[in-house]
Amino acid sequence: MPVYERGYTHWEPSGRRANPAWFVIARRGVIEPLRRRWLFLLVVMSWVPAIVKGGFIYGKLKAGNILDLMGGGWTSIEPEGFLRFMEGQRFFVFVMLAITGAGLIASDRRENGLSLYFSRPLGLLDYIGGKVLTIVTFYSLVTLLPVVALCVFSYLIAPEATGANMLLLTPLRCLVYCALSGTSIGLVLLAFSSMGTRSIFVMVWWTVLVSGTETIGAIAKGLGQNTLQAVNFLGQYHNAGSLLFGAPARLAISPWASLAIVVGWTMLALWVLRKRIRPVEVVS
Amino acid sequence: MEEPAIKVNRSRDGRQHGIEVSGLTFAYLTEPVLKDVSFTLEKGAIGLLGPNGSGKTTLLRCLLGQVPLSRGHVQVLGWDMAAQARAARAGLGWMPERGGVIPGMSGVALVAYMGELSGLPSRDAMQRAHEVLHYVGLADERYRSCQDYSQGMKQRLKLAQALVHDPDWLFLDEPTSGLDPRGRVSILELIRDLAWNKGLGVILSTHLLADVEAVCHEILVLRSGELLARQTVDTHTKQAKQVFEVEGFGNEEAFIADLRELGAQFEPDGRLLLVTLDLSRFPEACRPEGYDPTAGVNVILKVAKAREYALRRLRRRPVSLAEEFYRMVEA
Repeated sequence: MPVYERGYTHWEPSGRRANPAWFVIARRGVIEPLRRRWLFLLVVMSWVPAIVKGGFIYGKLKAGNILDLMGGGWTSIEPEGFLRFMEGQRFFVFVMLAITGAGLIASDRRENGLSLYFSRPLGLLDYIGGKVLTIVTFYSLVTLLPVVALCVFSYLIAPEATGANMLLLTPLRCLVYCALSGTSIGLVLLAFSSMGTRSIFVMVWWTVLVSGTETIGAIAKGLGQNTLQAVNFLGQYHNAGSLLFGAPARLAISPWASLAIVVGWTMLALWVLRKRIRPVEVVS
Repeated sequence: MEEPAIKVNRSRDGRQHGIEVSGLTFAYLTEPVLKDVSFTLEKGAIGLLGPNGSGKTTLLRCLLGQVPLSRGHVQVLGWDMAAQARAARAGLGWMPERGGVIPGMSGVALVAYMGELSGLPSRDAMQRAHEVLHYVGLADERYRSCQDYSQGMKQRLKLAQALVHDPDWLFLDEPTSGLDPRGRVSILELIRDLAWNKGLGVILSTHLLADVEAVCHEILVLRSGELLARQTVDTHTKQAKQVFEVEGFGNEEAFIADLRELGAQFEPDGRLLLVTLDLSRFPEACRPEGYDPTAGVNVILKVAKAREYALRRLRRRPVSLAEEFYRMVEA
């Protein structure tokens, strides 16, 4: 019987497998923004530095070490070089996450969407997990994927590149780093998103957090106030990441101190999310 | 307690269908919103009536397990909502009063998304989304962005998302809010069809008494968080004491005296005389399903004929649910 003549019918299970709720939320969170062409363009643009670095690695083969004069990081295929590359992607991380992450909870709160979500058989972990996975996916699109592509490219063309390093250890390091830092950054961004109902306000706070603290950190560095560099939000992730990549510290403070700060941010974000995400608004 | 694996539509697999609430007390902050509420419901069309702030929406949220239950016990479809709310929600549909439309999605995408979140496989969810959107009358609008929907369309969309996973119970919070008269009638027809013909349990929370009269067979009345009354919608027809409007001329004193001997009470109402008869005194009025008002009319006609009191008007005064409701709330 055609659907328009059927009226209301009871659902008969088809036997197909249902996706877990966190996956459904994450899939929707990734697919919906990617329908905007300009966002797709931003993803493509974020790959330009990787293409440039790939060009430098290739050029080093042809022109020798002369290209190292332009900056060792661009031609390095050591793990540290890839950490520096991901650090250099922070502009794209900032923009991409501001666009895709700011409204993830704020718009749900504005439209009373939380009430809809929590009328379904899902819990807080599913909801936050799905939203964080959305952010980690976009984070990986501009950091992990270009790095992995570069690793494969380096393995194919650089004579000193080994399979163990370029196809296993370095991509694994990058994967762990992106998973941990992406989750932590995602939770912090979600915490901001849960505190408002308008994406634009979340973006403003995100800008203050990323750009504002980086500026303060840079000024502190210029003034020789090393401890003040601890306020640099994204800088802490890169500095703590040097532990994983076996690289020198990126800031003038201990990587372990940065790691402690990152853990602190993450715990604070989880606490905020636990407090803010509920299906019912309680106004005191 | 370990939560059981989620399985959609478990209640049709032989589990209980009803709702049991006992001693439910709930407070958002310090002042209790619900105070020692207890009731048991079997599937059907239930109206939840009460003035603003009486705790109707909070009660629905407790039934959905959206708020932590501190005192009292709530069991829905056989699941204890304090510990197993997630599992129970697979069999519940919720239509919120405010918002409930996720921006940036088309109608069909939103409904399918909600279906998947309810545990339906992706393909089934999309198929069901098309079906329920046809059912609620949004077939032609299903690919439009739901942000562009009118208020009436949004209400239908919210009903569709509540139906997509084929729940056992539908909790509807002010479903006709903001609708024009035609839209209101139309959505009430859908709800009535679901409750009376499709076998879904419906709890309709509203302060519009006409909505309850149109759809429900039973009402729960809340006031200040307390369950004030529970009765069937046709309770007033089952009451022994019924009021008749009488207007006539002739020997009124004798007419009144005779009726008074039959236990009648009188009250003037403009040109009318309101006669209250206790039908339980007349065996011919007593029926298994209630009291037959025709017997009361016959008694008055008989007395009027005997006393030559010419009647211009005689009818049983209809007791509306609204009057009952206001009488209970204002008592």
